[in-house]
Amino acid sequence: MNQPEISTLDRKGASKRGTLSGQSLGLILGVLPLVAFMGVFFFWPLWSVLWSSFEDNFGAFTLKNFEVALGEPYRTAFSNSITLGLISAITSAIPGAIIAYIIESRGSQKLRQFIASISSVLSTTGGVPLAFMFIAAYGAEGSATALLRAFGINIYAGSFTLYSLAGVIFVYSYFMVPTMVIVFSPAVHGIRREWQEAAKNLGATTAQFWRRVGIPLLFPSFISSLLLLFAAAFSAYATARAMTSGSVALVPLMIGNLVDGNVINDQMNLGKALAMGMVIVSLVAMIPYLLIQRRASRWQQ
Amino acid sequence: MVFSKLKSLPLFLTLLIAGLFVLLPLGSSAEFSLRQPTKQNHGFDNYVWFISQPEFGHYMGVSFSLAAVSALILLVLLVPTVVWLNLKGQKLRPFVDFITLMPLVIPVVALAIGAQNSLPEFAQTNQFILSFLYAVLAMPYAYRTLDTGLKAIPLQTISEAARGLGANWFRTIVRVITPIIRGTVLSALFMTLALSFGEYTITSLLHWDTFTTWVTVISQANVMGAIALSVFSLVAIFIFLLLVGLFIKPAASQVAKEEE
Amino acid sequence: MRAKRLVALAVAAVSVVSMSVAVAAPSSAATNFCTVTDLKTAGGMDALVAAAKKEGTLNVITLPRDWANYGEAMDLFTKAFGIKIVDDNPDGSSAYELQTIATAPAAKQPDVVDIGVSALNTVTGAGRPSIFAPYKVSTWNHIPNVWKDPAGAWYGDYSGIIALSYDSTVSPAPTKISDLTNPAYKGMVALGGDPTAAQMSFLSVFAAAIAKGGSVTNIQPGLDFFKTLKSNGNFVAVNGNGENYAAGAYKISLSWNFNAPGAIASAKKAGKTLKFVIPTDAVLQGTPYIQAINKKAPHCAAARLWEEFLYSENKGITSAKVTAADKKLSGSKLFAKIMGGQNIFVSGGATPINAPAMIKAKSIIDGPEGLNIPKGAKIVQPNPDQQDAAKKLVVAQWPTL
Repeated sequence: MNQPEISTLDRKGASKRGTLSGQSLGLILGVLPLVAFMGVFFFWPLWSVLWSSFEDNFGAFTLKNFEVALGEPYRTAFSNSITLGLISAITSAIPGAIIAYIIESRGSQKLRQFIASISSVLSTTGGVPLAFMFIAAYGAEGSATALLRAFGINIYAGSFTLYSLAGVIFVYSYFMVPTMVIVFSPAVHGIRREWQEAAKNLGATTAQFWRRVGIPLLFPSFISSLLLLFAAAFSAYATARAMTSGSVALVPLMIGNLVDGNVINDQMNLGKALAMGMVIVSLVAMIPYLLIQRRASRWQQ
Repeated sequence: MVFSKLKSLPLFLTLLIAGLFVLLPLGSSAEFSLRQPTKQNHGFDNYVWFISQPEFGHYMGVSFSLAAVSALILLVLLVPTVVWLNLKGQKLRPFVDFITLMPLVIPVVALAIGAQNSLPEFAQTNQFILSFLYAVLAMPYAYRTLDTGLKAIPLQTISEAARGLGANWFRTIVRVITPIIRGTVLSALFMTLALSFGEYTITSLLHWDTFTTWVTVISQANVMGAIALSVFSLVAIFIFLLLVGLFIKPAASQVAKEEE
Repeated sequence: MRAKRLVALAVAAVSVVSMSVAVAAPSSAATNFCTVTDLKTAGGMDALVAAAKKEGTLNVITLPRDWANYGEAMDLFTKAFGIKIVDDNPDGSSAYELQTIATAPAAKQPDVVDIGVSALNTVTGAGRPSIFAPYKVSTWNHIPNVWKDPAGAWYGDYSGIIALSYDSTVSPAPTKISDLTNPAYKGMVALGGDPTAAQMSFLSVFAAAIAKGGSVTNIQPGLDFFKTLKSNGNFVAVNGNGENYAAGAYKISLSWNFNAPGAIASAKKAGKTLKFVIPTDAVLQGTPYIQAINKKAPHCAAARLWEEFLYSENKGITSAKVTAADKKLSGSKLFAKIMGGQNIFVSGGATPINAPAMIKAKSIIDGPEGLNIPKGAKIVQPNPDQQDAAKKLVVAQWPTL
């Protein structure tokens, strides 16, 4: 569809590439507004957090904050948060991928648009409203709980509770699955129907197409979407805060307590050190994402 | 609209199951909000209560204007950038992908503290600083949505045609490209609106007073009213979405059909 | 010798002149209310009220309406004096209040704060410049010495007792904290928040410690108690707030006695009957909350009027009874007619700081029903240092309990 070579020639056929610095200038100018915006409203605040994580309460340089951040209970919190991220990502990515595939391949244009819009809105739910929705539905006296009981299913027969790591993962799926649908749909869309038809013409069955062509093509995008979901679940804050009263050790909650809590009042910079720790973990997850995306985007042109 | 049963079954099942999953929690809290315990029945008392609160109009206005400005910032910033990215900026795609992804992976709390510490005084006294921060939060989704939408149309052809007919870049983007990706733009718009309306963490940490902080205050005086308010803010967006979805034809379908 | 005499004369002359200027100055210069340190230097109640009315607004912060009946205090103040009250983040914490003072722009600075003692300790003490403007209210002498700064920078306002709250459908009705391990309460017990973040929840754990044989220096039994509750399934880790209670997510909790009136009223609207009782095995009194005027207060006179109001022990009228005629009264007459903050706190279920003096003078009103301290019970009040030591244990153990 897109033929990148043409764009380097202007209408008169002369090369628009021009000099190397001219080309670079064009690149810089094009991305400048976005970079400026993100720079001022995102990277600069983030930088100030990084900076103060190295300060103690009187402004002097210290590594103490990081020392404490690596001890308990923060270590358990990091481990819990990473676990939460991974499990939430996997359990949401699979249904999300399936939904994305089915909608993309069998849905009408209108349906696809509708699903995209709904997913966008659902992906932003969180915090107290979301927590309450789930409590009203699946809580001890919830209407969905009662409904399921009418069908003979008692979700509280075992030790299940909404206010645990498992419960939080369950509630997270409400916005994680739509997020997956949003980020994975472009990849599915890229599986050209022409390829499926071409494979059929060459004698392949549907299963063979998928095994040899479809899945290998979708796999990188699936993994990269998974990593993105991990980062989102790992850093989610408002919902976990609304669902548990501190009984599940999670890093964003600890940061919130240090910054906004009533009990420990003088360790804001520790909170910032923890935030930097989160940034590092997220970046570690993002690097494979970018590498895979770079490869996969070739197929999406 | 006749499909063969075999083809439509997976779609039907998917929509059913996904629909149930989405609607059960929403429906439960909606049912809860309609309860009228003192009268032992269901009705709209709680909704009437919060709509008749004197501050309701004020807070709706505040949150709505913040959301609108947020959406505007994102569209004005992203549409030209993503157009450029798809036409001439291919090289910087990984870079742009990365920086637009960052807000998703950083805890909101960290951004809030950072904004508090670093932004100058004049920025902190104007409530529209929130619009800029909401735009940052919405960036990952908005960018991806717009990018997907622009990749689905023959952008190269369209823009060259428009330019060939004499339009400058501004006209091309505003009058030609944007209408074509109407559906995508609306998607991004809704998402930004939903996010801005529901955002609490940054709003309260930066001492501002919007719809969501007001709901928290109200919940101390009237729990049922607060619940109705939360349901209202979620459901209102959905209804809005449905209405728009029903009436806006996805214009890209014309172009897509030609492709197929 | 002559030079010395001349110098002495000059000094004397200058002193006389400057003293007369100093004496003359107050009457010609306007009172700077931001440096006023008590009612006298303010020029009397009439002057203070007039100046506050002129400012027209009062910035308060993190004051929930149903917390010690702050709602009534704010309504009465606004109705009587016509001063608008802006409440920043009513749900916020003491740390948030101090953060705001440190970082907010001038217009958003709170005029007054109401913070917990542990938060106070992070901004007071050797080497720390004061962020509060000193002011001694008219009833200063009634505030116990241990709960006020000698220079007037901060002063305790009210304290609470940890009470057991439970839904009326709970059977058998719990009367003490040790009851909570009863298997009949499976899935019912919640805390009002995170003990590592919320003072009230932290003190709830402390109350459990007292009930289980601990002391102000030993909070471990409290932590062990909650561990037991967790393992036998009685404890639900849901946020013990009003909405979740209405949704039936929990039925029993521990919270401040002064939250009772508001919580009961709110529960009623949701069709539920909530009951409060002081546990018979632990009467834990929290340290008082602390009032202070912000040095950077944008409305200095209003701030000081508010403090005078909060510490007034008058029995007077409530906001519902203020008439248009009352509002036309002079500042001091109006002030004398309305109910004082100390009694408003009582109506909210809290114990005002001036209680000992008020009980003696019989100026204290009756509190809400049902929140009586069990006869002969020992009131335990951990001091800030003991609290700090206990917090370390809670922060370390709670998340992995």
